[in-house]
Amino acid sequence: MATPHLDDAPQHYAIRIRGLTKHFGSQLIFENLNLDVRAGEILAIAGGSGTGKSVLLRTILKLLPFEAGSVEILGSNFASLSKTERVKVERQVGVLFQDGALFSSLTVLQNVQVPMREHLKLPQKTMDALALLKIAMVGLPPNAAYKYPSELSGGMRKRAGLARALALDPRIVFLDEPTSGLDPIGAAAFDRLIRSLQRTLGLTVYMITHDLDSIFAVCDRVAVLADKHIVREGAPMDLVRDPGHPWVREYFCGERGRQIAKAS
Amino acid sequence: MHDNEAVLDRSTRPALRSAEERGTRRLVVSGDWTLATLREAQAAVDGVEAPNGPAHEIDIGDMRRLDTAGALTLVGLRDGKSAAATADFSSARAEHRILLDEIARAAPASFEPPPPRAGAAVETLRRFLSAATAIGRDAVRLTMFLGETTAALGRVVARPKRFRVKAFTHQLQQTGLSAVPIIALVSFLIGGVVMQQAAFQLQKFGAETMSIDMLGILALRELGVILAAVMVAGRSASAFTAQIGTMKMREEIDAMRTLGIDPIETLVLPRVLALMIALPLLVFLADVMALAGGAVMAKLYLSLDTEMYLQRLNSAVQAKHLYVGLIKAPFAALVIGLVGCLEGLSVRGSAESVGTQVTTAVVKAIFLVLVLDAVFAIFLSAAGF
Repeated sequence: MATPHLDDAPQHYAIRIRGLTKHFGSQLIFENLNLDVRAGEILAIAGGSGTGKSVLLRTILKLLPFEAGSVEILGSNFASLSKTERVKVERQVGVLFQDGALFSSLTVLQNVQVPMREHLKLPQKTMDALALLKIAMVGLPPNAAYKYPSELSGGMRKRAGLARALALDPRIVFLDEPTSGLDPIGAAAFDRLIRSLQRTLGLTVYMITHDLDSIFAVCDRVAVLADKHIVREGAPMDLVRDPGHPWVREYFCGERGRQIAKAS
Repeated sequence: MHDNEAVLDRSTRPALRSAEERGTRRLVVSGDWTLATLREAQAAVDGVEAPNGPAHEIDIGDMRRLDTAGALTLVGLRDGKSAAATADFSSARAEHRILLDEIARAAPASFEPPPPRAGAAVETLRRFLSAATAIGRDAVRLTMFLGETTAALGRVVARPKRFRVKAFTHQLQQTGLSAVPIIALVSFLIGGVVMQQAAFQLQKFGAETMSIDMLGILALRELGVILAAVMVAGRSASAFTAQIGTMKMREEIDAMRTLGIDPIETLVLPRVLALMIALPLLVFLADVMALAGGAVMAKLYLSLDTEMYLQRLNSAVQAKHLYVGLIKAPFAALVIGLVGCLEGLSVRGSAESVGTQVTTAVVKAIFLVLVLDAVFAIFLSAAGF
């Protein structure tokens, strides 16, 4: 849910990107890219293949360097932070990678406990209770806790990855194509899960997705990445009414887009 | 609302106190109930006193921040013995209510105990039995794999066009040519060491020149083939397992099968055949280098010049000693190649599994090479070679 009475005060923004420019070798990926993610909203990042959606995610997470511009997470610019301050901000951020990125030598329960072990000093009993709670919250059966990632299906791995991302009760969660590779029922269930977790935990969700169903079902706003920057952003229905960019028109006003927009 | 003792606690410290008005016993919650304050919150819950019996409601209207960890603690409090069975949260803010309901819904299922484990004695016995039977299973698997590979060889011989020449030559280079420097160096050094030790011991009997006979026969029959095979087992069995195992993990092997490509034919056969060609050559190299190492030591310790060393060697060593060593090489290569490929194909799912299988492959390959050598030694001496 978008915070009402938005103004430009920085506390209302979970992420602010200004003038981001990035190259891979001689290839320009982003040029003067600006993006605001409001606190408490679910923002979808859409865009064609190869437009750099994953690169943008990795850049925000500081997994990739960039040449110019600034990226602020929860009001602090990573570049100007000391190591300890940076860890504090990182604890407020949870990431679900495409295939879960679970540690293959650990059980699901141990995977969820990794961030707790790393950042907090809690008794084992408390960590077990918390991790099992997170596993239940993402809709996994209790016996999944003692399984290894290789014993889980793709959808279960995603849920387990989400449980690990939520382990420290972060304020922002990044999701990389959360519904890709799931069947439509599983994808719809995952959408509902994200919406209900966002409501209960007051999360800000930054979600890369191709899935028009998810965009219309759960997202407050969509930002479209094309031509090396964000070409359009706004509520999904606003973009349907006024696409303003050829790719956006094709995406939202094509056959599938129209049907889903009409249905919702 | 609040009784006289009520002091609004607006600090972040989680606190809990009991209050009573008009016969309703309440627990009043204040402060932050989050992961960061979890210890204090748990201490507050453990230390709460209910002098007049369990509370009827839990007032969380004054609570500041709440997250899943805090909510779990509060749900524990509500379901614990300091609150009555009918107790519930009161004055909750909307977002706190949603979270508490969600946690209460998820929590009961979450305390399922881990799957039961067998007792220590039973577990030890089970492990012992599974390790014991594993040897038998491994032998069966390896034999079956040898059969599969032989069948694939038969298919390739019938239709030679299907033979992967490029993969074969690549493997020949990787397993053969690239191993030349290390095998040459190690054999040279070991040859020298054996010569020196033998000369030193036999000097006591005035029979130091006998050390040349000894080294010549030892190097050709055993030393060269064992050194080369162990080095190759370490280098190539591990490489085969890692290469094939990674492909297996990424479902590449399954993809090959669905495309009608036989992985045994394309992956296993070129590797095993390349190794069977490369290892005899490497054994010959190891033989030569061990004898060269001996020649250097003979010069240093016995002051025998190379010509005399070679003469002595010539009279002591017969061609059969060379053949006895060389005949073992292709068999050792077969074992090393099969074990490496089989362990690679046995990789399951995870990256950790690749590591485990590589270790297993190297240990098994070296072990089997030594067993094979022993069997050959018994057989060949019984046959009079």
